[in-house]
Amino acid sequence: MNEIIIAADGLSKSYDGKPALRSLRLEVPRGSICGFLGRNGAGKTTTLKLLLGMLRRDAGSIRLFGEPIDSEASSIAARRRVGFVSEDKELYPFMTVDQTIRFTRPFFPGWRRDLEEKYLDLFQLPRKKAVPKLSKGMRTQLMLVLAMARGAELLLMDEPTGGLDPAMTEDVLQILADLAASDGTTIFFSSHQLAEVEQICDRVCIIDQGQVVIDGVLDDLKSEYRRILLVFDGTPPRELADLAGVDHLRCRGRTASLLAHGDVDGLVDRARELGPSSVEVRPVTLKELFLDHVRGE
Amino acid sequence: MLWYKAWLETKWRFVFLVGSILFVWLTPEWITATGVHSGVPAARLWMAIQLGSVFLFIFTAIFLAGSGINTQGAYTFTPGFHGSMLFTLSLPVSRRRLLFVRAGLGALLTILLIAIMAGYILHLRPEATSALQALAYFTRVIACTMAVYALSVLMACVLDEMWQFTGAFIFWTALFLVQSKFDWVARVSPLRGMSLNCYPVTAPIPWAPIVASLVFAGVLLCASVLVVQRKEY
Repeated sequence: MNEIIIAADGLSKSYDGKPALRSLRLEVPRGSICGFLGRNGAGKTTTLKLLLGMLRRDAGSIRLFGEPIDSEASSIAARRRVGFVSEDKELYPFMTVDQTIRFTRPFFPGWRRDLEEKYLDLFQLPRKKAVPKLSKGMRTQLMLVLAMARGAELLLMDEPTGGLDPAMTEDVLQILADLAASDGTTIFFSSHQLAEVEQICDRVCIIDQGQVVIDGVLDDLKSEYRRILLVFDGTPPRELADLAGVDHLRCRGRTASLLAHGDVDGLVDRARELGPSSVEVRPVTLKELFLDHVRGE
Repeated sequence: MLWYKAWLETKWRFVFLVGSILFVWLTPEWITATGVHSGVPAARLWMAIQLGSVFLFIFTAIFLAGSGINTQGAYTFTPGFHGSMLFTLSLPVSRRRLLFVRAGLGALLTILLIAIMAGYILHLRPEATSALQALAYFTRVIACTMAVYALSVLMACVLDEMWQFTGAFIFWTALFLVQSKFDWVARVSPLRGMSLNCYPVTAPIPWAPIVASLVFAGVLLCASVLVVQRKEY
């Protein structure tokens, strides 16, 4: 069985009494690339901050690399093995690219000079340029260099491709996929770009209102879920909502659209008993899975 | 490397302060050389220098203070949330160490500048100053300045730069006003402790403001450690 690198259980956090995370449960195995999806304010950044010890949890537990994170010392030990890219990609304005790298390097015993050179060349980052003079895309690239060259076993990234042009986004996604494949690096990243998640992730975790609504291997989810389109002569019957295996039901006019999982064939048979004039079953995309679960229809 | 970061963070402030001090140094020399002060009594000029020095001591301490985590003014970015703080906190370093290194470097630079300024003030003093008198003056000025410094460190733990400066100036202005109304405040006030008007070089060592300042600074630094360790970013 794969070693679990990130394990969170019953994780709860609220701000001024308003819940941001509600008993969140999460498991990410070693070497996987897990896309962390959710709407704005769903709790993605809060989760990442809790994993890094920037926030204190109200309840629940966190284990990184199999070790409980229950003190500052354990958090520091874990952070030695973690690379982080924050959402707004801000670095020290009083440093140049070179100074930022020189500053970061000694904190990480496993720093990879070869990767540092490789990515600096790839991104063509000007070493002498001051951080405030970098474009947002360049700051993103510098943060990626800092995160990837430290020889981290786990990369936590909050929208890592934000600010990058499509060509550079493609390069970065390829680098991340290579890191996971060649070095066994575990990558956990939040994103609003479903296409890039679908492109490189083997797992997805969808969070909504502080709770995980879908978590699993992407291919399994895609084969497990199906879209069933039913067209009726009149208004779709209310009984559709009560059918076992229906995750979400959306009715428009005479058409009912069901997102279903599990025994889809059995569900289709039961739906046929309700007298639709036509039935169509088709595979789902990640976008459909995401939208159906976070819209809560 | 945290010392390196702290130095890069403070070096331009340090350079600015050195420039300010040079300006203040050169002004009396220029006044003397040009004879502009001919109508101004020497005693009044000396008093102005002493009052100005107290302001410079306070300004230096406030300007060089920092907590090591809130490294950028949040007002230039999204309020309350900006990435360099998150980058710092993602490093495998304790928050206490981040605070100690930044506050430590700021304190060393403050002490250096205060000692230079205090030395120059004694040099300007019309009468000769003995080594013991000079040592006593250095000690009390540095002790009292540490109270100002510690308050700014605490403020740097919870406020962005703009409010850190504003808050500190409001506090010390308020103390300046309060100490003129309440005698017991005046007796322990660091502002009076660092002033040669209130305690001339020849006066006995004013232990009350020295001890009060050191206790105040100690308490505030302990509070800073607690705040930094408990604060959520």
